[in-house]
Amino acid sequence: MKRAIVLAVVIVVAAGATAAALAKPSATGSASAAQAVSCKSTLTIPFVTPLTGGAGFIGTEQATWAKYAVKTLPSHYGLKIKLVFGDTPVEQGPAPALALAQKYIADKSVVAILGPSTSGNAGASTKVYTQAGLVQLSPSATHTELTIGTPAVPYIGTPGFFRNVPGDYIQGPTDARFMINKLHVKKVVIIDFQEPYSVGLADIVESTLKKAGVSVTRLSAPNTTTDYSAYVTKVPNDADVVFFPTQKPPDIQTFGQQLLEQGKKAKLFGGDGSNDPAHFTIAGSYVSNFAPDITSIPADAAIVAGWQKDNPGKVVGSFGPPSYGAVQILLEAIKKACIQGHGSIQQRHDVIRNMKKVRIPNFILGGTFRFSTKTNDPLNAKFYIFQIQSNGKYKLVG
Amino acid sequence: MSEQTGQPEHGPAIGQDEWVARHGERRSTRDGPLGTLETRLRRVPWWAWLVLFLAAMSLLPLFYSSGYVRRVGFDTVLYMMLALGLNVVVGWGGLLDLGYVAFYGIGAYAYAMLDSDKFGIHLPSLVSVPLIVVLGAVVGLMLGLPSRRLSGDYLAIVSLFFLELFQTMTTNGDNVFGHNLTGGPFGILNIDPLHAFGHSLTVQHAGVFAVSYYYLALACFALIFVALRHVNHSRTGRAWRSLREDPLAAEAMGMPVNWLKLMAFSFGAATAAFTGTLYAALNTNVFPLGFYFVLLIIVYTMVILGGSGSMPGVVLGALIISPLLEVLRDPGKSRVVFYIAVIGAVIVAFRVSRRLGAIAAATAAFGFVAHAVAGAIDHQWVAGGKSGGFGGVLAHWVIVPTHLAGWVAPVSYVGLIALGLFLTVASPVVRLVLLVPTLYLAAFVWENVMLASPEPTRYIVLGMILIVLMIVRPNGLLGEKRVEIV
Amino acid sequence: MDTFIQLTVDGLTLGSVYALIALGYTLVYGVLKLLNFAHGDVFMVGTFIGFGMLQLLGGTSNPLVPVWLLLVLVTFAAMAGCAVLGVVIERFAYRPLRDAPRIAPLISALGVSFFLANSMQLLFGAEPRNYNTFALSGGALYLKGVDIGSVRVPLLRIITISSAFALMVVLWFLVNRTRTGKAMRATSFDREAAAMMGIDIDRVIVFTFILGSALAGAAGVMFALRVPTNVAVGFIAGLKGFTAAVIGGIGSIPGAMAGGLILGFAEAYTQGYISTKWSDLFVFSILIGFMIFRPQGLLGRADIRKV
Repeated sequence: MKRAIVLAVVIVVAAGATAAALAKPSATGSASAAQAVSCKSTLTIPFVTPLTGGAGFIGTEQATWAKYAVKTLPSHYGLKIKLVFGDTPVEQGPAPALALAQKYIADKSVVAILGPSTSGNAGASTKVYTQAGLVQLSPSATHTELTIGTPAVPYIGTPGFFRNVPGDYIQGPTDARFMINKLHVKKVVIIDFQEPYSVGLADIVESTLKKAGVSVTRLSAPNTTTDYSAYVTKVPNDADVVFFPTQKPPDIQTFGQQLLEQGKKAKLFGGDGSNDPAHFTIAGSYVSNFAPDITSIPADAAIVAGWQKDNPGKVVGSFGPPSYGAVQILLEAIKKACIQGHGSIQQRHDVIRNMKKVRIPNFILGGTFRFSTKTNDPLNAKFYIFQIQSNGKYKLVG
Repeated sequence: MSEQTGQPEHGPAIGQDEWVARHGERRSTRDGPLGTLETRLRRVPWWAWLVLFLAAMSLLPLFYSSGYVRRVGFDTVLYMMLALGLNVVVGWGGLLDLGYVAFYGIGAYAYAMLDSDKFGIHLPSLVSVPLIVVLGAVVGLMLGLPSRRLSGDYLAIVSLFFLELFQTMTTNGDNVFGHNLTGGPFGILNIDPLHAFGHSLTVQHAGVFAVSYYYLALACFALIFVALRHVNHSRTGRAWRSLREDPLAAEAMGMPVNWLKLMAFSFGAATAAFTGTLYAALNTNVFPLGFYFVLLIIVYTMVILGGSGSMPGVVLGALIISPLLEVLRDPGKSRVVFYIAVIGAVIVAFRVSRRLGAIAAATAAFGFVAHAVAGAIDHQWVAGGKSGGFGGVLAHWVIVPTHLAGWVAPVSYVGLIALGLFLTVASPVVRLVLLVPTLYLAAFVWENVMLASPEPTRYIVLGMILIVLMIVRPNGLLGEKRVEIV
Repeated sequence: MDTFIQLTVDGLTLGSVYALIALGYTLVYGVLKLLNFAHGDVFMVGTFIGFGMLQLLGGTSNPLVPVWLLLVLVTFAAMAGCAVLGVVIERFAYRPLRDAPRIAPLISALGVSFFLANSMQLLFGAEPRNYNTFALSGGALYLKGVDIGSVRVPLLRIITISSAFALMVVLWFLVNRTRTGKAMRATSFDREAAAMMGIDIDRVIVFTFILGSALAGAAGVMFALRVPTNVAVGFIAGLKGFTAAVIGGIGSIPGAMAGGLILGFAEAYTQGYISTKWSDLFVFSILIGFMIFRPQGLLGRADIRKV
């Protein structure tokens, strides 16, 4: 009897607490509310990217370029910037990204977010950041629906999310049209890896190819696959191209070797995730990337040299330079907000408002950078197609 | 047969075995002040502890208005609930369930499907949540049913396969005969927050995590705690205990062993599913990878650390591990945690004695000498440390080079492990002598190698906790040493 | 028909690696009744040791020794390294728990697995490591081979499959024709009785771990010669090897070999003929069903519990 009474009391208390919680119109939002941050103090930019786990090599490469940018650029703008890293391994889903979001929102010195680098985390945390007024600039989240909605999938982004690389809705059709117009394909095999990047890209390429009457075989490999032999076996002998949008260059290299091993004639086509001259060297293959090789842009020579001095023995990859560019864009926007606020950032939102005003000539990825007026993507972004030559060099072909 | 109550204070009673009755409640008490304290504390009724605990936890948002702390607090409460559920399966039922987080995922995904734009269904929360709890229990039953004849190892295998199955189904569920059921790797987004009586519990205000969810989680936790305690002290709970101690004897005594196992499985699954709904409502999106192996190990560590079979134990385990994992993300704070842990371990190992003092002094001296020598050889070898605060003070003791040569990290790390392992088998004298350089090497490795990559470090700490716990204190913090009946 | 031959070769290659890993699980389960969850991570460490040895010998582009010697040395290094690791794990993480309730060493194994995988990540990072076998003698291992019908089976696969079988034969010999092997079999049958007969249980168990871990190391090299390795492969490889051991009947050595091959074929055929997307799901559903109706696996003994 006593137990029952106690049980009842506890449940009533619990219900009461719940009712009280439900009835409260708003929780004490506090700390992050409008408090001007002086531009003379050290501002913090967190970089939310996977530094460990299966996609860790992406984040570690981006980190080196972001560090170099934060080392060399802020003085030009008269700013003091501290770069901190938030590790979001892909194996744990969005939970770390959301926890980190709360952490950075609570930190008053944070004025902008670099990243999130993965499309999954970008989609999961953008609402929270934008509601808190923090701008997010991702150097690698290319999922289409982060900046525009499509008939198939609704828009999942927010006005505070930007990216300085073009989305899959540009890469997909570019790749597909290259295959149709330049390679005259009749039969294509597309493989996805059951994670957001490859599935999104594969879907777009598949639909574009199908509309043009190309016969498409779609295969799907679990993300943990290491041995693609059975997939190679499924590639028809008369297939022209295998589209392999992996983010792990050693995998596409292995796949290509296994294609040769089984005597298949199909050419390999990789997305921007496979763009890695150090690891992917199969002659005759194609790779698409959102920037021409920056080592061939004269204006970037000094930057590349400086970066290589800080990172001896490392090779310039494809994930790194956009991170440098992203830091530059953020600094521009922050500077503009500082000027607008007369030496301090009155509200975090001010940085978001100034993003579209950013213009950077001689941008690291080539040309002048500005955002499109219609979306939060770069204006006139395009993808470039490269073919790997027999000496392993990447040659621009489209 | 009359029921044993364990209170045979007045003379022999008919039908009661005195020795067994006393035995059932016997605990090994310590001598001295600690033992008296323990006995006194045990006399406080459990619900008083619960109320006290809830009150303390409720005060948290008053001290910390940061959304981050609230968020971590909420996650901790969720972990507490998960640990309670796993405690039912592992601690009370004695079943090694390696697929436990699949039920967590099922609860989350079910809520996502029933309360979002995905299929256009928006059931009121008061309908969907109990429905999902029942669903969790049913799925647990279904998984347990065919496996009821399987013994411990095989059940572990089947439940592990079930987890893999769940992972594969959710990742590939975006194209089931042309229908997008689970959203695949993109997960399900824009899940409704909990709503009842026309009010919606918003998740955040201006990006800051809302405190109402925290209180709601605490209320749910209290509910589960009370419910499970009720079950534990009923006949089913006692049957579980006897099942755990000796399944063969229990079966021989006529207990419905298989049914009991199923009940344990179901209860655990239902608790996990319930927690899953809270998770989904707060995060407003679910992804397959959120419910996988890493989470399983974390929950297991909490249960084992706290003491499997003890409800307050696993709650304590969750309370320790969850904030610990968060704190270890930040190099500055993990440094503090490390030193506190090491110093604490040394104090516990040696008690307050002369040996303790000798060790402390020797380690400090060793460190300063090593630091001075290294600094004299090459200034760059000691220049890498932080300048201010706790780290700055330490920088004069630990060697922190500015640039670490490639071979230093693996060699020192493996060397530390080898040294540590050697210490466990060395003779006491050698052990004492080698302890000093080992401690210093540990500090060196922590500062230079582990703080540089906090993510794997967090999990290394977790793995070590598991291993050391099982060897040194398998009953965890609050679990009880099983009394052997000869 | 071509596809069938190709898929069979694929299945054989996959299966041999799984069988070697499964043998490690089965050997340890036989003597200790312990599911050694850390075994997959020992396999992963083996791939890295092989990689290190490879770099030491000049790498695949400029090997300092002839190709065959390179492969032998790399395999040997991995086997030796893994054997040491296995013995250390047994001595410090499992031996203290030998008389503890069954759940204790299992939890400890989980802890060791976690610890190993994350330590490797801490020390060596998350980047994949590629043996780049293609560079050896200009791709000879890939492009030269034996022809079956119109399908060419490359040298590398032949080497992989035959070395795996050779190792299994050696193992069979060690277990069935030597005294220590006999002691191992006795211990796995009844540990207490074996101890009473004068068998040094500790030595037998160490021997078992050496065997099992060395096989994992060899499997690691065979695996990494064909695909890039990273710190995360241990988990999946362990799961597959473990699955293979269970199918074949855990505790039975021929069972592990059979289970490994069956799993390899099942994967290859379901991926080739049914669907790549659902192959995992298919395999796991079959497994759960299998476990429920025949938990002792194909060749295992039904567990007789003594009252």
